[in-house]
Amino acid sequence: MRHETKKISRIVDELTTLFLKEDTNEVDFKIKKEPDQTIIEIIDYRTHFEEAYIEQLRGTLNIQRQWEIEEYYWQLTGETDYDEELCLVGVMIDEAIVEKRDGNLYMRLVRYHK
Amino acid sequence: MTVLEPIQERDLKKEQVLMILVVFPIAFLAFGLGSILFQSNPETTLMRGLWNISSAPTVLVTDFLEVGGVGAAFVNSALIGFFNLFLLKRYKMRINGLLIAAFMTVLGFSFFGKNVFNILPIYVGGYFYCRYQRIQMKDVILVIMFSTSMAPIISEISFAHIFTRPYGLMLGIVVGILIGFIIVPLSSHMLRFHDGFNLYNIGFTAGIIGTVVTSVLRSFKIEINPVDILYLQQNKGIIILLIILFLYLISIGLLINTKVVKEYKRILPYRGRSITDFTQQLGYGITFFNMGTMGLLSLLYVLVVGGIVNGPVIAGIFTIVGFAAFGKHPKNCLPIMLGVIVAAFFVGYDLSSTGIIISVLFSTTIAPIAGTYGMGVGIIAGILHLALVTNIGTIHGGINLYNNGFAGGLVAGFLVPIMDAFKKGEV
Repeated sequence: MRHETKKISRIVDELTTLFLKEDTNEVDFKIKKEPDQTIIEIIDYRTHFEEAYIEQLRGTLNIQRQWEIEEYYWQLTGETDYDEELCLVGVMIDEAIVEKRDGNLYMRLVRYHK
Repeated sequence: MTVLEPIQERDLKKEQVLMILVVFPIAFLAFGLGSILFQSNPETTLMRGLWNISSAPTVLVTDFLEVGGVGAAFVNSALIGFFNLFLLKRYKMRINGLLIAAFMTVLGFSFFGKNVFNILPIYVGGYFYCRYQRIQMKDVILVIMFSTSMAPIISEISFAHIFTRPYGLMLGIVVGILIGFIIVPLSSHMLRFHDGFNLYNIGFTAGIIGTVVTSVLRSFKIEINPVDILYLQQNKGIIILLIILFLYLISIGLLINTKVVKEYKRILPYRGRSITDFTQQLGYGITFFNMGTMGLLSLLYVLVVGGIVNGPVIAGIFTIVGFAAFGKHPKNCLPIMLGVIVAAFFVGYDLSSTGIIISVLFSTTIAPIAGTYGMGVGIIAGILHLALVTNIGTIHGGINLYNNGFAGGLVAGFLVPIMDAFKKGEV
């Protein structure tokens, strides 16, 4: 997979922008690269996001992986502070768990390697 | 942070979306064959027309309705449409807004610039790139479809008598394959110049490639000059066909989402910046409804200003229809178009000329600027766009069909950082 590390960095970049700009001032990221997949775990502490927005975020991040859009547009991810790029994160990952746990927003994103 | 109400509509499988789209090449084929049928020697007329289209240099502006006749031009577009839909089916693609935009753009530009001969080397180049990078063809098919905007360079080298025939033909094909090979990484990189505010990004990329290639040729004293071959008759049959096809899209939208008329206004707040895929954000019902509406509005504009619906104009309309699935709607397109019209009026251009009509239609490549910064900035962007698009064609000699994408990229790359400089605080 070409530019794999850079793509993961940009996914993290985009989500960092989202949380720090729209929600909180404390976020944890854990990135684990395995031979066949990369897992990104995020805890956004003391989230102010409403349940409806979290549901929407879950939907956006769980759209189908779309390789052709990733290959073309991945360099836009994390590039600006507009939220269209969240859709790009959605097309670049295969699975997303997005839920509220003890007042924090927990995310687990999985990106399979080909 | 906006919370949106979910959209209720019928589920569509990707095969069903393909079936909706295949109506376009079928209609074009029927119309093309129908318009030849009543002429003497229809087979000869068709074959000669297709040959003329395929062997023309095809640099901007070469209208296939004039070069090959109405029938052959529509058959050419239909064949290219079937070929691209076959690829989308073959690679089992989910038909998202961007693929719809790519399909409609290719279909439209098959009336001026793209033919069955000059697009193929670019697909072959894309295939070689995939083999080299060990990725699948379906990962790049989208970029390759758009990058056929560089197809005229293949025809120009092959048929413009720059080189003797067999060598010119071979060189043209080799250059086409090379373009297909390099276009994917280049186009991805170029996005950062305008941050996705220019929807025809491949046009911007192709403008850069075209400038390089033309400059190299010019350094060998080989000159590529734009031409002006236009179909200048108003064909009522074409107008009726387009109206039927756009009403068909609106009907499909209504069938998929019965509340589409009420919910259509939900598309208007979208900025339209890449990537705004309406099929994902609002569903296929609103998307097809928007495509049909934008098609009718575009056609209405052309007719109101007294323009002729010829090849370049059909391309302009179909590109708007396609990108109505990926960022464009009336609210973000109107200010840009208004800017171009106002500028053209005050400079003294003829608003009914094909050149100005296509500038107005294609200027919507920077619709996201109006969607993001509002009406005033949108109008200014439109004014700037006209100034650039009427001057930059000579840089690449007309070998980039998406000349407006090139101009739009420059306008967006120039204007967006300036607008951001006026933003205050942490926003």
